[in-house]
Amino acid sequence: MSNTDLNLGEATQDTSLAASLGLNTQLFLFQLLNFVLVAIIIWFLILKPLTKKLEERKKIIDESIDNAKKVETNLAMSQQKFDETIARAKHEANQIAQKAHDEAEQIGLEIKDRTKNEVAHLIDSAKKAIALEKEEMRLELRKETVDLVVLLTEKILGEKLDAKKNDHFIKEMLKNIKN
Amino acid sequence: MTEIHIPNLPPDVLFQIGSFDITNTMINAWIAIVIFLVLGIFVKRSAKLRPGKLQNTCEFFLETILGYFDQVTGDRKKTLQFLPIVGSIFFFILLSNWLGLLPGTGSITLRHQMLLRPANTDLNLTLAMALVSVISSHIFGFIAVGFFSHLGKFIQIKNIFKSIKKGPIALFVALIEFGVGLIEIISEIAKVISLSLRLFGNIFAGEVLISVISALVGVFIPTPFMVLELLVGLIQAGVFAILTIVYLTIATSQPHRVEEH
Repeated sequence: MSNTDLNLGEATQDTSLAASLGLNTQLFLFQLLNFVLVAIIIWFLILKPLTKKLEERKKIIDESIDNAKKVETNLAMSQQKFDETIARAKHEANQIAQKAHDEAEQIGLEIKDRTKNEVAHLIDSAKKAIALEKEEMRLELRKETVDLVVLLTEKILGEKLDAKKNDHFIKEMLKNIKN
Repeated sequence: MTEIHIPNLPPDVLFQIGSFDITNTMINAWIAIVIFLVLGIFVKRSAKLRPGKLQNTCEFFLETILGYFDQVTGDRKKTLQFLPIVGSIFFFILLSNWLGLLPGTGSITLRHQMLLRPANTDLNLTLAMALVSVISSHIFGFIAVGFFSHLGKFIQIKNIFKSIKKGPIALFVALIEFGVGLIEIISEIAKVISLSLRLFGNIFAGEVLISVISALVGVFIPTPFMVLELLVGLIQAGVFAILTIVYLTIATSQPHRVEEH
């Protein structure tokens, strides 16, 4: 048997093996076309819309989580600001209360001093009025005493003094009293 | 005991449109296409931010496979980049496999041929998907790492010229790397063969098993085998899709640079 016959025999055997397995160029191309068709349908009608929606949903969820984190951060910052403001307000309120207390104390002291002064002034005025009244009383008493002495002397002497004598007599008497 | 109809390896030609043969596996694939089309129209129309029952169910499946794909790629962005190919492969294989378990598959005949047969019992389809998987991995590789960088993973001739000046050991290493590159080319072909034959073999074997069991005992006994086939259908869809995403991830990763002294 020649080499050509052997090669021909092997080639026929290969072809028959492929044929026995059902391999066929036309069927292969048909099935390839079927697969391409099904791949196009699956991708464009099923997988692509679904993956798109999944991605959109994932994006929305991620954004929502980010927003929630931002809100949480803002809330914490607001809480911190609120606490700071409250603390500052408390501090200011304490300062104002302290200041009011100090001022009230100061005013109290001032009123106390003024009252003391006024009381002292009143006492002083009263003392002066008493002294003045005392002087007036003393003078009144002296005059009464003089009159009484004159009246008594008249009674004793039994005669009535005229005005000239009377004045002279009083002056003498007063001189004596002073001495 | 009924007559045992063991399916042939090649799909059965039911009729012809012009000069084109229409096989029973194609009918099954078309049913899957119609189901996806109807489902797709409903999903696209009803897709909202607040999902309904249908969207929720579809999103559950999608989220589940995305989780597995993320474990391979390590990056959701990359997973979404590969999803058009890998997702289509996974869902198409899964539905095709499960459609094969519907009543009527293997039992309804047309001109003494089975009218319905699981689409993945046709090597043409599994080979087409395997080729799409491997070729797309190279296209993504060219885009991601550059044409020459990706080609350099297989044809490492540049290192041979560089190593001539460095001495015999460097030249020897470069020759080995060149050989490894050639083996890589063979492994790419092996990927196509293994992907297509694994899926074909598993689903075809399942179909044969169900046919034989159903012919021997018609009631109750085939049920556990059908449950097993549900699992096999899911596993095979998962294996095919995971391997595809592994190929895509490897192809789009930067090649290891040989440390230069």
